Amino acid sequence: MMNSLLDMLLHPLGIYVIALGAGFLIPLFDRAHRGSAVLLFIAALAALATIAGVNLLAIIKGAPPIFIETAGISPPFSINLRFGLFEGGVVFAVNSVAFLAALHLLDSLRKHASALLLYLIMVMGINGMIMTRDLFNLFIFIEITSLATYALIGMERTGSVLAAGFKYIIATSIASAFFLLGTVFIYYQTGTLNIDDIIVHSDLIQGPIGLIASLFLLTSLLIELKPYPANGWGLDVYETAPSGIASLISVGVSSGVLFALYKLLPLMGDFLPSIALISGVTFLASNIIGLKQGNARRLLGYSSIGQMGLLTMALVMLQQLDAMDMAIIVVGGLFINHLLAKAGLFWLAGIVNREQINDWSALSQHPWLLFLFGSMIAALIGLPPFPGFWGKWELIMQLATADYYGWILLVLAGSLLEAAYLFRWFTRAWQGDITTGTAGLPALRIRFWQPATVGIAVFLLYVMGSGMATLMDVTVPAFLLPLAAGLAMLLVDGLPGRLKNIVMLLIVGFFGIGLTHNLTGINLLFSYLLVGGGLLISIGALYRKDNRRGFYPLLAVLLVSLAALLRARTSLEFFFSWELMTLSSYLLIAVGRNGLKPALSYLLFSLGAAYFIFAGFAVAFAATGSLLLADLGDAGEQAGLVFGLLAAGFVIKLGGFGLHIWLPGSYAEADDDFTAILSSVVSKAGIFGLVTIAAYLGVQADIGLDPAYVLGWIGILTATFGALMAVFQEDIKRLVAYSSMGQLGYIVTGVALMSHLGWISALYTTVNHFLFKGILFLAVAGIILRTNERLMYKMGGLIKNMPVTFTFTMIAIIAMSGVPPLSGYGGKWMLFNALMDKGWYWIAALAFFSSAVAFLYMFRLLQTVFLGQRKLEHAKLREAPAILLAPQVILIAAIMVISAYPKLLLDPLSATIDPWIASTLVWEGTSLVSHYGNWNAPMIMAIVGGVWMIPLIILLLVSLTLKIQKVEQFNIVFAAERPRRPEETHFAYNFFAHYDRAIGFLVRPRATAFWNATVEWTHTFGSSLRIFYTGNGQTYALFIIMYFIGMFLVNGGLEL
Amino acid sequence: MIYASMSEWFGRVGNFGLTLLIVTVYGLLVGALIERIIAKVQGRVGIPYSQPFINIAKTFFKRTAVSHGIMFYLGPVFRIAGGIGTLAFIPVIYGSEMFSNFSMAGDLFLVIYFMFFGQLGMALGAGESGHPYSAIGIARGLSQMTAYEVPFALAVISIVIQYDTLSITEIVAAQQGGWQNWTVITNWVATLAAMLAFLGMTGYSPFDIFLAPQEIPIGPPTEFHSAYLSFLQINRALFGATKLVLFMNLFFGGATGWVELMIKTLLIYMVAIVVGVAFPRFRVDQGIRFFFKIPTLIGIMSIVYVQMVLA
Repeated sequence: MMNSLLDMLLHPLGIYVIALGAGFLIPLFDRAHRGSAVLLFIAALAALATIAGVNLLAIIKGAPPIFIETAGISPPFSINLRFGLFEGGVVFAVNSVAFLAALHLLDSLRKHASALLLYLIMVMGINGMIMTRDLFNLFIFIEITSLATYALIGMERTGSVLAAGFKYIIATSIASAFFLLGTVFIYYQTGTLNIDDIIVHSDLIQGPIGLIASLFLLTSLLIELKPYPANGWGLDVYETAPSGIASLISVGVSSGVLFALYKLLPLMGDFLPSIALISGVTFLASNIIGLKQGNARRLLGYSSIGQMGLLTMALVMLQQLDAMDMAIIVVGGLFINHLLAKAGLFWLAGIVNREQINDWSALSQHPWLLFLFGSMIAALIGLPPFPGFWGKWELIMQLATADYYGWILLVLAGSLLEAAYLFRWFTRAWQGDITTGTAGLPALRIRFWQPATVGIAVFLLYVMGSGMATLMDVTVPAFLLPLAAGLAMLLVDGLPGRLKNIVMLLIVGFFGIGLTHNLTGINLLFSYLLVGGGLLISIGALYRKDNRRGFYPLLAVLLVSLAALLRARTSLEFFFSWELMTLSSYLLIAVGRNGLKPALSYLLFSLGAAYFIFAGFAVAFAATGSLLLADLGDAGEQAGLVFGLLAAGFVIKLGGFGLHIWLPGSYAEADDDFTAILSSVVSKAGIFGLVTIAAYLGVQADIGLDPAYVLGWIGILTATFGALMAVFQEDIKRLVAYSSMGQLGYIVTGVALMSHLGWISALYTTVNHFLFKGILFLAVAGIILRTNERLMYKMGGLIKNMPVTFTFTMIAIIAMSGVPPLSGYGGKWMLFNALMDKGWYWIAALAFFSSAVAFLYMFRLLQTVFLGQRKLEHAKLREAPAILLAPQVILIAAIMVISAYPKLLLDPLSATIDPWIASTLVWEGTSLVSHYGNWNAPMIMAIVGGVWMIPLIILLLVSLTLKIQKVEQFNIVFAAERPRRPEETHFAYNFFAHYDRAIGFLVRPRATAFWNATVEWTHTFGSSLRIFYTGNGQTYALFIIMYFIGMFLVNGGLEL
Repeated sequence: MIYASMSEWFGRVGNFGLTLLIVTVYGLLVGALIERIIAKVQGRVGIPYSQPFINIAKTFFKRTAVSHGIMFYLGPVFRIAGGIGTLAFIPVIYGSEMFSNFSMAGDLFLVIYFMFFGQLGMALGAGESGHPYSAIGIARGLSQMTAYEVPFALAVISIVIQYDTLSITEIVAAQQGGWQNWTVITNWVATLAAMLAFLGMTGYSPFDIFLAPQEIPIGPPTEFHSAYLSFLQINRALFGATKLVLFMNLFFGGATGWVELMIKTLLIYMVAIVVGVAFPRFRVDQGIRFFFKIPTLIGIMSIVYVQMVLA
């Protein structure tokens, strides 16, 4: 008896029984005791979710779909339902979110007993929309849902809410009217209202009536999905409705409508292109307009509408491509992602309760909320490990297979725009001290249980996303290790900073070696740089005593994801690790002193880069049918395009010429020790990517010279302008940052040469760059630690206080400059020879010029910081801490060994390249011989040492005979007097003023101006798209009707 | 190492010592000669030939000296090591194993890059003196260097294409067999570009502002005195002569004997002197712009020329 009762209740029909039953009982309970009514309400919602869950589980285990016809009467007078895998999944998801939303809303819901009732009815309506198989039933459920929603919107009786609710009911009523008309005409032609029967007899739907019928149904559902531009009413609702209700409209009602559309899609064969176009335009337009938006909820509205557009587009595309078997990943992934993230964001908006995104800075005091916020935003953008990442990946792959490149562009461009405004919002929230508008608002008071629902949503996002990794054939433990490392570090985040550093080194070492120990070739080489180098430079971070909350977990994610990147065999694995790296390095820059703003531009450029890479992989997949990186070379005719897209991505990531504007700010504002990691280690990931694709594509597919030649030019222009811009910096970190950009340019050119010597020079320079940039940035960290300054003219004469740092810096700079006998010379020599071999003479000339320009900034760094006159207040500064010098000692030793005996490095490098290009290195003893000349490093070292020793010995002898006096500071005569203050005498500010007068016009920030103008224009365009949003209900109604007329005319109305 | 036996190494070192001595003395004498020629033009008698030697001896044996610190102390050492090293990497007399120095360690590229060695070390030494004139002089000198480096690099690339080698010995070898084979004839465009760059490289008027003999008392070396200064004086003669030898090798057929070398280098030097006497000084930004205009254009044409005409 009990069992059968339980069975009955757990039957999908139970959803209606319970919803209606509870609906009747709530007013009664309310009479007795408000609390009991609320309890009943919550229990009912929990039951709805449970029923859906239990049945879904049964179906997943293999039970057949459930069909229901109530009361033995045939439809349309009874309810006709189906509960299959898709229905079950969506119903379960919606009911669960509805349950969480109710918990979130409980405070305001309990004020009105009727609200509890309406809420239940609305949820039931959504369930009906999803499960019903009857067209008329569908109409009824749509009506029920929109009426209940309307009433709920009006729960808070402020003017704007009521106006929004009124516009909502007008819009949905028109849509419902369309739907009813469509239903009537369909019944007229087919004689049935059962959707399955209609699909079977779809040939009966024909002629003008059939067209109008189909269009009525379609337009009605599209309107409910709020397509641009007929969606002003929907935005008003999102902006004003209580956050819990808005969340349910955004994810619940929309899901119901989308599912209804999905059911009717088989009837819409002719209209698929229009639907795709409408939803694509909606996605793009919403995201462009979102850029201009300052109101948090309206922003969420734009994002919601955009995401629904993307979902609809994905659904239609899959239908069109006959790839519905991918729906579970694409639509399922995007759906779950949107559902949880958007609902969570609306709830968070409810908790924060600040209208303007600028006022979200209140969140900065709540790191855990910030974490939840960031996670949801990352999920919405489609960053790993969230479900949206996998959905978007599969969608793009499917689009590429069908050669829908325009659609790929649309999806990626829309995603980038969405990232721009969502992360800008995140930045505002993080940036606590921003004063605009915040003044006068009280601090946030958040009770501890309030974020619980958001927390659950985020938790589910992580779990679902990681779970989907298995579904996508990603090697699971390996590629989720970065997250595991981050989680482990998060658990010990309460420990003191230095202890955490050691723990992190152990974890990263353990995971990193585990991931990379069995690699070979290029990957093995880079594992030394990325993992070994990362660990070595991270030791320097021990100099910081403070706690650095959040820093070490992120650093662990970053370093382990670099290791995972090397392990990637498929483009998906590569991209997954790449995006993790991007996200974690973004956050690490953002935790720097003033890091938030530059971090945002870092993130946007990195995402742009990632999308180029994404598109490149997609085109490759379409051409080869394989995700394996090793198969990239089979791309055939597409090889040039694939190479171009991938190379563009990596070059942006390296700060290529014109695309570099993110670089100086990010490097300068990140924490000083992290800048060292960023420059010497993380930048090598881009080089790894470039070398990898050059190997698979440049050599294997033998792509024409052109893309590689362009790359060669980009590289050398990067080197030249990086050097030129470094010359004019006053900030030491910006100087070294621009220098990094320049040095990476040589590497890009080396790779582009596609010759053995070119690659050797690139890899050699890569190793060398790791060594000297590691030293330079760690030395800079020490200088900043001691002086607390970044402007070089505020320093000077520090050689007296920090002789070791000076010596290391000087050696690093000589190694960078290419002056013999240190290691830089070899790189320059090989690059020059390779360029001459290839006949790239103009590039060779620019290489000469840029390395001459580099002398200017290198000298400036040494002169203005270490030499010249010391500031009086710096007289007592100490040498940099030993722990900061320790990694530098190792790097210096490596430079010295490589300088004296480069064969030690060149042999393994050559062995790495040999499988791709036959070696052209000719050794005569210790001398490397090229077509043009030779380079005998040990001999040069010996000679230079010799000629240096002779005058030194003579001078020492002189010193013995005549006593050389050490003199104090200021013991010079300048302008006919002995200077008193260093500020008057230290020549440092605007050091190359004359150079600026001569050729400074070359480095006026044109790239920055260009990108600023791009942003400005996009914003202006976005605001011009808002022209349709008049806020007038009548206008909105007119738009909807015109929308239908437009659909009618476009889809064949003209031919009637 | 290429040389199996130590004795061979010692022989090399000894030979190089001889080269070094000859080139240095020659450089000092040429310096005096030029001073005398200029004096004659201006109707003066000028200095005796012994003057440069006396100057060096005088500064070297000064009884007192001060030091501003370790880099200041090492600056002149770096400077003169740069001069000696540059000479060491250049074969001086064509066909003579004895005077080929250590040119087997590298090629033209090595020489060009090693020239920076002394400049950088000197710049650091001068920097530590704390005298602003030193720093200003270096800032100007380095800036000007990046500018004349452009036509020079283009000319070098042009002749590397022409002779298909970076080896200085082979470049000289290719010019043997009469003056019609000299680069100045076969690739006069590149030579023109290089000689314009040479004007900047020698640091004579109109490109002498980084030393600014009047306003900035002798630029980077401002604070150097006594033995330090003697090193710098020696190096000035040595390094100047070395650059002349390099230009002679690259563009004027090299030399098969010391007399030929001296005549050729003197004539090359005279180019800079004549221009220097005839033209007033550029401001430093004017000098930089100058090199980026006509000389660079000529340098570009030299590569086009070598590809279109000589190919």
